[in-house]
Amino acid sequence: MSGPGIPNYLDYKWRRRGLDHDRFPHRNLPQARPTVWPGKARVAFWVAVHVGHFPMDMPRTPFVAPGGVDRPYPSYWDYTQRDYGNRIGIYRLMRALDARGLRATALLSSAVATRYPALVREIAASRWEVAAAGVDMGKLHHGGLAEAEERALVEEAASTLRGAFATPIRGWHSPAHSESMRTLDLVAGAGLDWVADWINDDMPYQVTTSAGALTAMPLAWDLSDQRLLFQQHMDTAEFVEQVLRAFATLYGEAARSGSGRVLTLTITPWLMGQPHRIRALGGLLDRILDHAGVWPATAAEIVDAWRAGG
Amino acid sequence: MLAEPGHYDYAPYTGRPRIVWPGGARIAVWLAPNIEHYELEPPDNPRKTPWPRPVPDILNYSHRDYGNRTGFWRMADVMARHGVRGSVSLNVAVCDHFPEIIERCCALGWELFSHGTYNTRYFYDLTEDQQRALIADSRETIRRASGQSLDGWLTPAITNDETTQHVLAEEGIKYTLDMVHDDQPMPVKVRNGRLISVPYSLEVNDVPLFQNRNTPVERYTAMVKAQFDQLYAEGAENGTVMCLPLHPYLIGQPQRIAALDAALAHIVAHDGVWLATGREIAAWYTEHYYDTVSSWLASGTPGGRR
Repeated sequence: MSGPGIPNYLDYKWRRRGLDHDRFPHRNLPQARPTVWPGKARVAFWVAVHVGHFPMDMPRTPFVAPGGVDRPYPSYWDYTQRDYGNRIGIYRLMRALDARGLRATALLSSAVATRYPALVREIAASRWEVAAAGVDMGKLHHGGLAEAEERALVEEAASTLRGAFATPIRGWHSPAHSESMRTLDLVAGAGLDWVADWINDDMPYQVTTSAGALTAMPLAWDLSDQRLLFQQHMDTAEFVEQVLRAFATLYGEAARSGSGRVLTLTITPWLMGQPHRIRALGGLLDRILDHAGVWPATAAEIVDAWRAGG
Repeated sequence: MLAEPGHYDYAPYTGRPRIVWPGGARIAVWLAPNIEHYELEPPDNPRKTPWPRPVPDILNYSHRDYGNRTGFWRMADVMARHGVRGSVSLNVAVCDHFPEIIERCCALGWELFSHGTYNTRYFYDLTEDQQRALIADSRETIRRASGQSLDGWLTPAITNDETTQHVLAEEGIKYTLDMVHDDQPMPVKVRNGRLISVPYSLEVNDVPLFQNRNTPVERYTAMVKAQFDQLYAEGAENGTVMCLPLHPYLIGQPQRIAALDAALAHIVAHDGVWLATGREIAAWYTEHYYDTVSSWLASGTPGGRR
């Protein structure tokens, strides 16, 4: 039997050269403008740390963010294990990074800054870059959110962090990589100038918004500890192996193409900050830093170098 | 609803007419890169929701987009280095959206076959006329972009409806990949015309492996090698087909691309391997074995245990 049919199913509104939206043009990575990093480094090494707050009463709609509360209320299981990251795990990460002279970019829920001023002081003392990552992990940006409500979330996140830190807040990451159609307009409107939500590239690219341009940064998701360790239940050794494989590919590509690449290490205090994993992180960092031509940099430093034409 | 597809009769993996591939090869190996576009705002389909999150699902959309911007180029370079061509399972709208990708495929001598218009336009619930219109669009788009004829078909997201295989045969499609019931090509029973199935794979396929089964990178290479080794051994008795489906948004990630490199190095190091395209496999089988196998099937699969 044949189907009943679906009206207008063969209409293709966006079938044209380029993408089916107007945020940025399509780019084939081999044809991208060659990028030369400071010191002619082959690979810019960006450590991005998710520092999220997960309220125990967070809503479960329209979906639960990875790591979000998904057991029956009141889930001490979920709440306290995530909170462990901000009490203990992040300090282990700081020590591991400080010991190697590395500065991370914290993708920070503004609720963390409000709740834990002591952690704010430590992040500032480590000279990490701070980027706004929404208010908390229960306040998702998504297509069902009213514009005023979403604008208020962006502004609350940015202004809270600007009040808490003396250094500029320039970057944005939407909780759970989730956006509405207007999120990027609101982010640019709040005076931010880089964003790390879309996972379609290994290099920065420019995004158009109604409030000026943003630079998109390649925040690894398929290679993040949340994806591999938490969602895919792999072990720490496999995570280390995959990051090193990615590094080898990008390092080789940079040499062959004459254009720098970005390796993003996307980690989470409640995962990589666990006692049984922290030494593996140190070993991973050493293996990468062992190579000549690695430029450890924050997102803002990479954005500035990329914009300057490299 | 049907209790079975009804497109083939049971055929034991014993007593079959012997297949030998060109040059006396015992195994035909073909790579099927799925070059796809998933729409940011796809239309609704009654049986399948395109995105797991509310639209715009920019996480999953941009993950797929990685394949076209980044992963494809890396994957194509590795395949070219091993001298292995692809048979592209193509969402044909990619010809309009990203013509440079199609140019690269053509320059490498790859086959293009259709994987529908977009990977977010399913065949569930379509009338036969709608299915025909989609197939005609694929035929015209592939011819315009590459000069190639449309010979092969994999329904987008494998969302064929009950009548799709019949419509494919009537529209002149020569081989279908919608069924994974065999390690050899097989005649497909259709109401008009002639159609064969060519083996595809949901086993050594990077989507189920990396996305659903959480496969470590090194395991992927080991599984592809094991798949090849077994089909290569069996091919000495009766020629087999191994398909390696690829999705550049997964296999083209920097942490995974070397796993493909290692798997291909293993395969091309063997003698007696026919590195073919889907079209070539279908043509060889149709010319040399379609009638023989059809007679064997019609006479009740005689032969039995060797």
